[in-house]
Amino acid sequence: MVLCMSVLGLAMAAMAFGAATKPERTTSMTAAQPGAAQVAQTRFFVDPAPGRVPIEALLLEIENHVRLEQAAAESFVEYPTSALLHSKTVSTFVN
Amino acid sequence: MTNGQPDLLKGLSPGDAGEVLALGTRLLLSSGAELFHLGESAEALHVIQRGRIKLTLPMQVRGREEDVLVEERVPGQTVGWSALIPPYRFTLTATAPLETEVITFSREALVAHFAAHPAVAQAISLNLAAVIGQRLQLFQTMWLREMQRTVELRYA
Repeated sequence: MVLCMSVLGLAMAAMAFGAATKPERTTSMTAAQPGAAQVAQTRFFVDPAPGRVPIEALLLEIENHVRLEQAAAESFVEYPTSALLHSKTVSTFVN
Repeated sequence: MTNGQPDLLKGLSPGDAGEVLALGTRLLLSSGAELFHLGESAEALHVIQRGRIKLTLPMQVRGREEDVLVEERVPGQTVGWSALIPPYRFTLTATAPLETEVITFSREALVAHFAAHPAVAQAISLNLAAVIGQRLQLFQTMWLREMQRTVELRYA
């Protein structure tokens, strides 16, 4: 009888412990997500964003794009065909 | 100068071209100097003798207004034809990226010469129409190409 009561008590204690610690585990997992986001965010701010080029370089890129587009347009005006109208350039601005 | 004769004077006899050139005054621009500014009253047009002229328009780049290249003109070519076309106001800004020399013709002097020499007026008007027409065709093409890219990006 004493043994049965002890086993039952142990089982209830184990269930209570399990019930008590289960939400904690979920909470800790949930809490880990903002932590991961925080790490990612920290990295976002630390690393320069890809494609965030200096403004002088960007202006040169735009200028280069304009020259290439103008050359493509001149080719079309000289020999107007649909293919030349939509010909691709090597401009990094649009590729 | 391209082929020795400016695009504005094509088809004129050497004598007629010389008379027109005599109406102009030479203007030397140092590197970075502005020839005319967007929105200004256009009182004169310019034929490039040597150097280069950059035509730009303002554009917002990362919250800053920047002059962005629209077209570049070389010796023999004409800039500032707004001086002969109403409403006589520049729609671009012109600067010299390097030391540049232009011949400047005032509208007043040209119009007076045209009144006295109708054949010269006709030839120059046709040359000017060719310059304007080429600009129109180029920009029409460039606009369509940009539109095509927008369509591809939005509705791909």
